[in-house]
Amino acid sequence: MPTKKAKNRQRIEKKTEGTISRRSVLKIGAAAGAATVLAPNIITSKAAKALAFDPIPPPLVQCTAAVRSPVHTPFVDDLPVPFPALDHPLSPPPQEVANTGAGEWPRANHQRWTQFTPAHVTSELEARPGLHTFHSDFGPSYIWGFNGVYPGPMILNRYGKSTIIRFRNSTPPNGDNTFGHPEITIHLHNGHHGSESDGFAGDFFPSGSWKDNLYPNCYAGLDQFGGNGDSREKMGTFWYHDHRAEKTLNNNVMGLNGMFIVYDPTDPGHEHPSAGSLRLPGYYGVTDFPLILTEKRFCALDAQGRNEMVNAAGGDKWIVNGAIQPKLTVRRRKYRFRILSTGPTTAQWDLKLIGPTGTSASETMTVVATDANFLEHPVPVDDGANAANSNAVVGATIVTPGAIRVNVAERYDVIIDFSKYSAGDKLYLGDFGAGRSQNVNDTGSGNTNPPGLPPGLNIGNVIMRFDVVALENWFAADTPDLPATLCTMPDPVVPDTTFEWNFNRDPVGAVPRLFRINNRVFDANVPQHCIIKGTSEEWFIDNNDQVGTNWAHPVHIHFEEFRIIERWAIVGGVFQQVPVPVLYQGRKDVTKVEPGEAARIRMRFRDYTGRYLIHCHNMGHEDAFMMVAWHIVPDAAAKAACDALIVKANQEFEAKLRNEEVS
Amino acid sequence: MDRRTMLSRVFKPSPYSPGASKFTNALLRTQDNKEVRFYDDLIKGKQCVINMMYAECHGACPLVTTVLKRTYRELKDRMGKDVFFYSISVKPQDDTPAALKHYAKMRNADLPGWYFLTGDSYDIETIRYRLFNMGHPGIDLDFAMHSGTLRIINDATNYWGHAGAFASQGNIMDRIRWADPYKTGAEWAVYARNLQTLIDKDVKKYGYRRDV
Repeated sequence: MPTKKAKNRQRIEKKTEGTISRRSVLKIGAAAGAATVLAPNIITSKAAKALAFDPIPPPLVQCTAAVRSPVHTPFVDDLPVPFPALDHPLSPPPQEVANTGAGEWPRANHQRWTQFTPAHVTSELEARPGLHTFHSDFGPSYIWGFNGVYPGPMILNRYGKSTIIRFRNSTPPNGDNTFGHPEITIHLHNGHHGSESDGFAGDFFPSGSWKDNLYPNCYAGLDQFGGNGDSREKMGTFWYHDHRAEKTLNNNVMGLNGMFIVYDPTDPGHEHPSAGSLRLPGYYGVTDFPLILTEKRFCALDAQGRNEMVNAAGGDKWIVNGAIQPKLTVRRRKYRFRILSTGPTTAQWDLKLIGPTGTSASETMTVVATDANFLEHPVPVDDGANAANSNAVVGATIVTPGAIRVNVAERYDVIIDFSKYSAGDKLYLGDFGAGRSQNVNDTGSGNTNPPGLPPGLNIGNVIMRFDVVALENWFAADTPDLPATLCTMPDPVVPDTTFEWNFNRDPVGAVPRLFRINNRVFDANVPQHCIIKGTSEEWFIDNNDQVGTNWAHPVHIHFEEFRIIERWAIVGGVFQQVPVPVLYQGRKDVTKVEPGEAARIRMRFRDYTGRYLIHCHNMGHEDAFMMVAWHIVPDAAAKAACDALIVKANQEFEAKLRNEEVS
Repeated sequence: MDRRTMLSRVFKPSPYSPGASKFTNALLRTQDNKEVRFYDDLIKGKQCVINMMYAECHGACPLVTTVLKRTYRELKDRMGKDVFFYSISVKPQDDTPAALKHYAKMRNADLPGWYFLTGDSYDIETIRYRLFNMGHPGIDLDFAMHSGTLRIINDATNYWGHAGAFASQGNIMDRIRWADPYKTGAEWAVYARNLQTLIDKDVKKYGYRRDV
């Protein structure tokens, strides 16, 4: 345990580092009065005070009632663009062994440390309270965000540039009058890295401590291909979020998530010609935007002048990048949007783009990547000629023709070509799933459409608006036509073995009805499957819940990307193979299984060992047990020991069912 | 916490606890026919594990009682001091305090800090719904549900958690521990030091961090 003196010293070291952390600003603020000479000119004592993030008072009242959110005016705010996190040195410097003396939370040593350090990029993200205004008609809302903002800072990153992010937990140590829980563990969805950096759900750390996650930004296949791995395993659009067992939903609703983009030569983050570049729209915040979707509910203005978020999973306001029904000015050229659903629960977005002609025919959005992975070929989706490309499927039926369905945690990178429209045109991105609508300006009886909406469009279906203007000379010229081929898929997986995961909540014998996988609830210390590093497997992911129940499960598997080779569903009373929608034919890390449906997937387990997860990404379900650990083990001996853990747990489970006391 | 502070402990609820408005302050009776208020006497400022059961149940209830007995043994030093078990009858019309006393005695579960509770059926239905509702009518209106879920509450920190009764014993203990009162910095430091030792041992033995 560090002595008080040592702790003070660390604190002082932290203050003297080059970044503006909350504490250092406080320090500067304090110092500024005494010795303004030492502070940079820009930080006058007044400015420092303004920057000093006064402790943010928690909500006076925790809103739990199923109220309707206050009314807002659509399309007044601009689409927010998350600010990129800055690269800055860390103090104390990161190290292979957990620096517990300086407050780092215990962990196993970083794997492949010498290969990937010194890290090219280091940065710190501090989970702490903040105030965020979701709409300019609203007062601010109390949130927890990384560096106090929602969505969290954007991490812009590059393959080959290993990165260490120091996640510091500065949430209120004694909780707060809110529904977040001050213990966090951060998962990078879906990074290829060691288990100690993976945000395992049981590895959460308390307020006041921190943890370094090493993201090597390597391609999977390090051992097999050498160097930085198999470049065909390239991924692009990641996101990071809290994964604390039992409290993932709470902490994500509070705001603890953000996006993480990794560039590589095919997708370099710019548009000018360069070796291997696909030349997609690629200037972040200019022609390449994240669209981070969620839904929330708000209370009426309170005595603090705030519209606090209601403690509830769903919501009647749709949020994109932290704004309600924003607008984005776009030039007559191609843009890339990285659409991510952060859920948190049952929300699935059936996205269509509506142009000036109205809802009779939706406009084309071209999907280039699913879950961070390029598709082999671009896939245009609309409800005309390209309706069959929709992935809004149940069984073999497309339920929202022409829609791109975004399930919780899925990412879809789409290209929209605005050169087809005239300056002055307005386009609307909306969710047209059955029963989906936000209660915009709802007085209890229906929505009030603002003037000028295209024919047939209801404001309650609209997520955001695009305002088309001319492509001025000073703006980046349009990118070339999309290439016909975007990537080469990695070699097909030849599985060494098969395994089955059953997701359900139905009773089996005396076992109670809980959200479970293979009849087990989430147990941080007991795996349900052990895999030797370097092997590959075929998994059958089965939703055993009956057709007609609404227990759909967007299943997420940590670590490597998989490919869906079969889909199964009950059609006409018969369990049979059904087509895999074209949008599900690429590499994925989330696959949704509707009640009675199943997917057969194949994936590899390379380069790292440790504890990883398979879980339903409906955050309500994963918090309610629907999560299971599996281990990648170094060798056969470790596998035998791992399998013994499973056997022991199974014996204990069966003994409990026989009502035997186990010792 | 030493024994003396524990005994003199005042149960202080979290300032953010929803209190009786969420839990209700229903008048219940223990297996010893003692009247208790649900929030004021049982929940307020306390860490507790709650399950729903009834005396004549031959399905999951006796199994869950066995599980709780094992858990009780492991928590022996804290039981009745800062951790409490509540087994609430979902058939209060049949389960008199005497019937519950019989049930508890028969199963050697009539122990300090473990209350078997009965009361007005409307009140109990309200408690069951408030504690175990999953926001789904198919589950929430079926009184036989949740018999296998243990609701874990710490009103001192406003923590809500749960455990599957048929999970491994280690998992149940984990989840009760996850609801423990917030530790001080010094307590976390001790905890962290022990944890790192366990991790290192694990890595040495199996080549990777496995089961801590």
